[in-house]
Amino acid sequence: VSRSMAREEDFFLEEKRFKQCCEDFVKHSQQIGDGWEWRTSKDLGDGYLSKIHFQVRNRNIPPDLKEKNSDNTEQTLFAHVEEPLDDSQAAGVCSTEEVVRYEYHVLYSSSYQVPVLYFRACFLDGRPLTLDEIWGSVHASYQARLQEGPWDTITQQEHPILGQPFFVLHPCRTHEFISAVLGGSREHHRHTNYIILWLSTVGPVVGLNLPLSYAKLAHEQSANADSG
Amino acid sequence: PIMRTKKWAVERTRTIQGLVDFIKKFLKLMASEQLFIYVNQSFAPSPDQEVGTLYECFGSDGKLVLHYCKTQAWG
Repeated sequence: VSRSMAREEDFFLEEKRFKQCCEDFVKHSQQIGDGWEWRTSKDLGDGYLSKIHFQVRNRNIPPDLKEKNSDNTEQTLFAHVEEPLDDSQAAGVCSTEEVVRYEYHVLYSSSYQVPVLYFRACFLDGRPLTLDEIWGSVHASYQARLQEGPWDTITQQEHPILGQPFFVLHPCRTHEFISAVLGGSREHHRHTNYIILWLSTVGPVVGLNLPLSYAKLAHEQSANADSG
Repeated sequence: PIMRTKKWAVERTRTIQGLVDFIKKFLKLMASEQLFIYVNQSFAPSPDQEVGTLYECFGSDGKLVLHYCKTQAWG
């Protein structure tokens, strides 16, 4: 028994639509000061979304993650103290703060016909973060998702435009998953901003969060839609 | 993955993460299956987001429609 969905091509993202979604996305980002911009490459004529943000991190491991790191050699950084600390002691002893520069790019993959997330992070002295270090700052509820989710693997690849190493969320499951979310509602799907839908799903796993305000943009009632 | 909708009464301060945990138990999902929740079928709110806030932005008539989508257990 085969159950065919709405034509699967409907849920692929054409490059033209990718650019339009990105344009709407950037406009909204500018309105709320979320820091995204559209960059183009002079040579290739391709464009991509880019965001850089700086985050102050404690070097503590938050309590949710302590089980995961039993093998870690950097014991001194963890707040595994035997006696309880009062607030004044805790602040001084356990945490050093450091600034991390996160960079996220959204590029279009013409072979998969979906957007792809590239990301990297480094300390201010230029030292890049490892994937484990990046995941250390991800919300605890996403920890389990790192292994299982609508992404096959995270690999390190050369950025197609910049030629520098970035981590990449492999796109081979994106189409399948996004199609499931959009469901059979082709009419609805036409008005959905694919980038917002996709990025709000995959971004948090790598520390990228979209403010709720994007949800209002995510589904525009277009002027051509049925009235009512 | 198939999406369905059901009706539940939820306190305003319940977070998305709380909802996810509840639905996963309700559906008896395996640990390796993941659940994603969407508002307007177009945006996945962050896990800390309170349902009450979502209702204020996107709900009406005492109802907030959310969709959930579960993934298979990969590998």
